[in-house]
Amino acid sequence: MAMAQQAREELFRDYNIGSFYDEMFSARSTARGHYSRVYDELAALGSGQFQQRRELADSAFLLQGITFTVYSDGRGTERLFPFDLVPRILPFSEWSKIEAGLTQRVLALNFFLRDIYGPQQILKDRKIPRSLVYSCRHFRREAMGLEVPRGIYTHVAGIDLVRDSRTGEFLVLEDNVRTPSGVSYVLENRLVMTRTFPGAFQRHGVLPVHHYPDELCQILRSLSMRSTDPVIVVLTPGNFNSAYFEHSFLAQQMGVELVEGRDLVVNDDVVYMKTINGLTRVDVIYRRIDDEFLDPLAFRGDSVLGVPGLMGAYRAGNVALANAIGNGVADDKAVYAYVPDMIRYYLDQEPLLRNVDTYICSRPDDLAYVVDHLHELVVKAVGESGGYGMLMGPMSTKSMIDDFRTRLLLDPRNYIAQPLVPLSVCPSYDAASGRMAGRHVDLRPYCLFTGDKVTIVPGGLTRVALQPGSMVVNSSQGGGSKDTWVLRGED
Amino acid sequence: MLSRIADSLFWMSRYMARAEDTARLLDVTYHMLLEQSQDSYQLRWDRIITITGEQELFYKFYDEATPHNVFEFLAFREDNGNSVVSCLNRVRENARTMRDRISREMWENINTLYHSVKAFDPKVEIHNGPHRFCTHIVFASHGFYGVTDGTLPRNEGWHFLEAGRALERAETTARIVDVEYHKLLQSSVQVAQPDNHQWMAVLKSVAAYEIYRREYHSRIDPQKVAELLILHPRHPRSIRFNVALLQTALRSISGASPHTYASEAERLTGKLHDTLVYDRIEDIFARGLHFFLTDLQKTCRGIGENIARKYFYYAGVA
Repeated sequence: MAMAQQAREELFRDYNIGSFYDEMFSARSTARGHYSRVYDELAALGSGQFQQRRELADSAFLLQGITFTVYSDGRGTERLFPFDLVPRILPFSEWSKIEAGLTQRVLALNFFLRDIYGPQQILKDRKIPRSLVYSCRHFRREAMGLEVPRGIYTHVAGIDLVRDSRTGEFLVLEDNVRTPSGVSYVLENRLVMTRTFPGAFQRHGVLPVHHYPDELCQILRSLSMRSTDPVIVVLTPGNFNSAYFEHSFLAQQMGVELVEGRDLVVNDDVVYMKTINGLTRVDVIYRRIDDEFLDPLAFRGDSVLGVPGLMGAYRAGNVALANAIGNGVADDKAVYAYVPDMIRYYLDQEPLLRNVDTYICSRPDDLAYVVDHLHELVVKAVGESGGYGMLMGPMSTKSMIDDFRTRLLLDPRNYIAQPLVPLSVCPSYDAASGRMAGRHVDLRPYCLFTGDKVTIVPGGLTRVALQPGSMVVNSSQGGGSKDTWVLRGED
Repeated sequence: MLSRIADSLFWMSRYMARAEDTARLLDVTYHMLLEQSQDSYQLRWDRIITITGEQELFYKFYDEATPHNVFEFLAFREDNGNSVVSCLNRVRENARTMRDRISREMWENINTLYHSVKAFDPKVEIHNGPHRFCTHIVFASHGFYGVTDGTLPRNEGWHFLEAGRALERAETTARIVDVEYHKLLQSSVQVAQPDNHQWMAVLKSVAAYEIYRREYHSRIDPQKVAELLILHPRHPRSIRFNVALLQTALRSISGASPHTYASEAERLTGKLHDTLVYDRIEDIFARGLHFFLTDLQKTCRGIGENIARKYFYYAGVA
């Protein structure tokens, strides 16, 4: 007992809850019900034992080559995507609410895309300004009037959620309905956790996540008009892409071919892959290449990643693409502000998950407010993702703010602004002190739309800002990830 | 199977074989020279560079072929595309582009090897001599082919791996025999009494010393060494053995029945195999060994090009 007490003091000594919502603790040293067993288990480990498990997990990632490459030093150094061993835990009741909210949102986004590239009823009814939609960088005229297989646009959606420390409520921060990545980390994190803490999963009822590739494969299979046993491929930009590991992982898990643009050829509006026995017809492409690089004949002519003629084959209905072309109009950060209205309009329901308040800079009143309050706002470019093209007002210097203001005024349509949401924190291992410390987290669940229903693997990817005080969780900015547990019950 | 994947498998296997062959050559040569006079020293190191076919590049970097320079050049330099480290980088790059198509065990094996090789400090190894590094590479290569053998289904992919390794080994053995004969005959005044040590090193570099002793029960006779390395039907490094393997692999890929061929690569391989089966070493010496081996290397290159043309490049609609 004395030993355990000492060890307990070791990992959580000096743990400071601070002013943010803490995922694990409701008050100092009082673990929330759904965290109590994990807390006891961690508290019983000494710093040295914890460090050993950590090394075990890191070497598992390194040996499997789950790394991304940093080219800054000219040699191409491989870095691990940092993995934190303290899980993010959600009790079932809380997850159920999130799940219902996400389902609603994905359905509405899909309705919206069908509508925009079809009858445009929502524009005629003046629920969303026509000019806003038509000025989206990722709005694709080429997709107008296209019949997409089974009416599905958002086969895979990654919706970014954050917990507001002030209310404890989950808010939607962004929608990603083009080619969201990260789901492979959900599966690999789980695998590594079960190897590192084998006992923990028996004691906790943790809902499994490993059916994701199966569910995705079923959706892809259902898209073929020609065959009940279609040829499916995953289309990757190649092994220098930072998400390449995920592309090959999903292809392997689904048992389908991983192809690059140069492996495909289009003849008479039919897509083939080049094999050692000649050409094999391809029915369904899960593409992880952005719209503008897909087909140099239809979009960017300088793209070497794409397949000339692919758009023609798609138009002719000879190949299915997931996700659909033109989805970027739905995850534009200015259109985001209208998603709650879409839910009311298409589903006749009240949104279960709220948005973060958003100022749309193309509106003159909003712009005037934003320009005066840049130091307290987060400003984002509407068509970007991955934490690029943004200003974190409260953390920026005056010259950075002035610089950004100039850019904002030159092109207001390209920006939105939001108050800084104080993200919740979760205890995470701080290597510098060898202790646990609260670090800000978000949550990206992965939603699959089958055309009839939305399937969401329980949990998703919890990203964590490992720098003290940082609220930027993107891996390109020093973020890491955690295994996310949804419990079968409440504790 | 995608053409690109077949291409990657073929070359992954070739690069792994090349890394092993280079490591063997380095190790054996270094240890033989510990017992040698200063005279032949220079010649011998220079010869290794000739075998790898990189004289031009080598003398761009260095003035002379010292053990230090040769070891650094062949083992570690990444600007030498055929150094051990460069070959292993390419093995891993190839594996990475098709990790969904090779077994997880293969990928982890290659990845572990890559990280273990990065952990070697060239300065320390060059100071201590090549044995530790080279042994590591040779074992790793065995490990790679062993894991592959134990985990990869015997489909086309397997046959492309086999073809790559067989072609690489056939070519390497041909180059070793050619260069050694050429240089040894040039430098030795008495052709009839060549330097035993050097021939023993040649045999060891292709793991053929023990089999030579068992099969020939004689002192080292250069013509017999050549016979073993070129014509032996069962020694896994002999040219004939590897050409036979290559023929089997290519037939398994195309499905051609015996005594027929489905591609130019198969025709060239079959023709070469017949020569190796029915020619005797005396016939080859009578026509000129150097001539024979030069011709053989040219054929090997032709086979490689034709495999690429048939399977790796897309040419027209099926």
